[in-house]
Amino acid sequence: MTRISLKIVGAQGQGVNSVGEMCAKGLKRSGYCVFGLREYMSVIKNGHSSYQLDISDKIIRSSQEKSDLVVCFNHHGIENNLCDLKEGGILLHQTPQWKFKEEDQKFIDENGISVLYLPTEDVLKKLQAKPVLGNVLITSVVWSLLGRSADELKELVREQFGHKPDLLELNFICIEEGTKFKNENASDVQLALPDSKDEWKDQLLITGSQAMGLGIIAAGCRAFFGYPMTPASPLLTFLADQQGTSKMLVKQAEDEITAAQMMVGAMHMGTRAATATSGGGYDLMTETISLCGMSETPAVFVLAQRSGSGTGLPTWSGQGDLLMAASAGHGEFPRLVMSVSNERDSFRLMMDAFNYAEEFQIPVTVLTEKHIAESLFTMPQHTFDSKYLTLERGRLITDKEGLDTLKSGDRYDPDLSYGISWRWLPGSYAPTYCAQSYEHTADGSFDESSQNAQAQMEKRMKKIEALRARVPEPRLEGTTDGAKGMDWMEESIDILLVSWGSNESVIQDLQCDSDLCKKRIAYLHYQYLWPLCIEEIQKLRGITKKMVLVECNAQGQLGMLIKQECGLEFDEKILKYDGRAFNYDELKRRLLPLLES
Amino acid sequence: MTQPSPCSGDYDSKNLCTWCDGCGDYGVLGATKRALVELGLEPHQVLLCFDVGCHGNMSDKLLGYRFHGLHGRVISLASGAALANPDVPILAFGGDGACFSEGVGHLVHAIRSNYNMTFVLHNNANYGLTTGQASSLTPKGEKMNTAPQGSVEDTLNSMDFVFSLKPTFVARTFSGDIRQMTDVFKAAVNHRGFSYVDVLQACPTYNKFASHEYLLERVYDVQKEEHDISNFEKARALAVDTSERIATGVLYKNNESVPYIDRVEARKGVKTRLVDEVASVDITPLLKNFK
Repeated sequence: MTRISLKIVGAQGQGVNSVGEMCAKGLKRSGYCVFGLREYMSVIKNGHSSYQLDISDKIIRSSQEKSDLVVCFNHHGIENNLCDLKEGGILLHQTPQWKFKEEDQKFIDENGISVLYLPTEDVLKKLQAKPVLGNVLITSVVWSLLGRSADELKELVREQFGHKPDLLELNFICIEEGTKFKNENASDVQLALPDSKDEWKDQLLITGSQAMGLGIIAAGCRAFFGYPMTPASPLLTFLADQQGTSKMLVKQAEDEITAAQMMVGAMHMGTRAATATSGGGYDLMTETISLCGMSETPAVFVLAQRSGSGTGLPTWSGQGDLLMAASAGHGEFPRLVMSVSNERDSFRLMMDAFNYAEEFQIPVTVLTEKHIAESLFTMPQHTFDSKYLTLERGRLITDKEGLDTLKSGDRYDPDLSYGISWRWLPGSYAPTYCAQSYEHTADGSFDESSQNAQAQMEKRMKKIEALRARVPEPRLEGTTDGAKGMDWMEESIDILLVSWGSNESVIQDLQCDSDLCKKRIAYLHYQYLWPLCIEEIQKLRGITKKMVLVECNAQGQLGMLIKQECGLEFDEKILKYDGRAFNYDELKRRLLPLLES
Repeated sequence: MTQPSPCSGDYDSKNLCTWCDGCGDYGVLGATKRALVELGLEPHQVLLCFDVGCHGNMSDKLLGYRFHGLHGRVISLASGAALANPDVPILAFGGDGACFSEGVGHLVHAIRSNYNMTFVLHNNANYGLTTGQASSLTPKGEKMNTAPQGSVEDTLNSMDFVFSLKPTFVARTFSGDIRQMTDVFKAAVNHRGFSYVDVLQACPTYNKFASHEYLLERVYDVQKEEHDISNFEKARALAVDTSERIATGVLYKNNESVPYIDRVEARKGVKTRLVDEVASVDITPLLKNFK
């Protein structure tokens, strides 16, 4: 499979994202699958940032370690990212009279790197264009290096500036100038894109946060309360931007505790509401999660993970909050923890999150990661069809007939099956009850007696078993083994990778790698993480030679949960905890030795 | 469907009160029930939210839809409820410990945001349920649990603080005057915006410095002294100075008050409530932005 990778680097605020997004959109529309990864520092200006695009005619969902083209906005890029180039790669920069250090020149010579200097400032001065037009100039050079026609790029620019004819004209001139520059200075330098395919042209380019925002809207959520914290903020921003259409109430609260409490108050009244935060904010929300356990109030928390502890690596990724999500809050109570792994999950799982919250009257945590929330995926439009979604509200009574039969003691009736009692909403013409954070009787009255405490605890804990019976088992994935199809997964597996979250994407990409096909490698993906299903993994243990845990945290937290639940131990663990998700090459490099033994 | 008008027994709970003899909470309970009845509200038409503290033990001593949540968080909880269903009057009850220490930030922002709800401060100037610690409203120097030599921190002037936040409704009342409390609660519920009601109340067990008798001697009703409740500065001055007499009644009301939900651009012109809108949404029209 042919994969091309280009990486745009520079100081934050220089235009790295604009160029990255323009190239991504142009390439997708030209018929390529694009995966975009943004990396940046926790500053507004001058931090070193990058936007990497991986491009193929086949589906890809991960980044490569090395790039075919590195575009440098400043000299820090030349110094820091030259070594990110593959053999035969291209370095495009715009730093006048740059003299390479001796070891860099050696790297260039040994690896056959082509160096292209684009005199952006001179060109813009000649055209009497503002510095911001440097973005389109540099994009047009990249576009030429990719062998694409300037007309495609012009079409994109027309869409953006069509309503401003003067600016559009200047953009067109810059594109022509960039194309000319490439032809005159690098006629023999070219990136070898595979042939384009029509199937990608009409697909969507979307980030995990945007997909999750759409999922939240589609799930009938009508209020969203948040407090800014990377990498949860893009979701808050996206939902706020959609308000004109969605009419959703989007509120930035004064802190995470408030956001969580307002969400619970809104849910209690009977609308659907959610909140989102990252690890530190979730810490603050945990008392509210515990409250929901006792008051049996549906609640939805999105936990967008970055690396901790403390403030940690605010703008980077990680999977270090699984154990927290599975156990946050004091006391014992039922809860559900699920994790998205890509933009399709980010969309579809939100309806499930609200459904579980309402049906089981529990707090639900949806995990995502910076690597999913801020990465750009190519996805067919039908993925987002509402036909895949069914809204379920469980034992919620709103009709007159139902309300007429109620008595106050139905609210926390300990005798109902699965511990799930009737729920009805303030304002309903029915007997009233107290939603109670103290231990309580069936109508929410105080009762500290031993007998009542035991009965109510048992009522709530029954929901855990009901949940366990309901949540889907982890999903087994594998590649077709020639004539044998996928049947081998029921007989014998050489290596079973077990993981969750964003790792699914890179593992799926690796399953198409010819170097790995000589062994029967299957992948078990956990979408639902608490309560944890263990039947499937125990069954697979019997036919698996080597069980390998893959996680982006230091302890192997899913592995710890699996061991806790069924005693199962992994033969190998591939863990990563540097704030970055696995890229294609790194995971492959760490997998290969396991194939030999 | 017409429903019969409510009567005082409608709010009666089977549970017996557990407060100390002489506790101000009895008066607040009585006035709350009476105010709701006089407002023509039946138990199923209201939501009463309780913080954690002695007053929170009221949560099962009357009927009505109720939510007894966490310590310090009642204002946030109630404001979320108020946004979701603006047709259900929301009253939140909290003590001076919960709302001027643990959850003081929520009070600040609820006043700024002007959520349409009533907040009733059970102000007995100490932490009662945890056996008599000093709160930020306890007079400096009082000997309290955990401060046996006397508290050393300055007392917060709660009214000066509240007025500094540009509230749209401020009242003060006294747990010994059920008639006035009832009228104040009614005015607060009828106000469109965040209504702040400070109830000075006796705590016979732990508050020896501002007893029922002490308060009784000092309170006076501003409504009987021709007070203009639309005059912000006058109201603030009256509220803050308690050196000789303590002004009670509705102190300030802004008739131009616009509650939060009415300020949100996206909700303008929307006739339904958030609680009516839960349905699966086809988001296909939004996808064009991602092509």
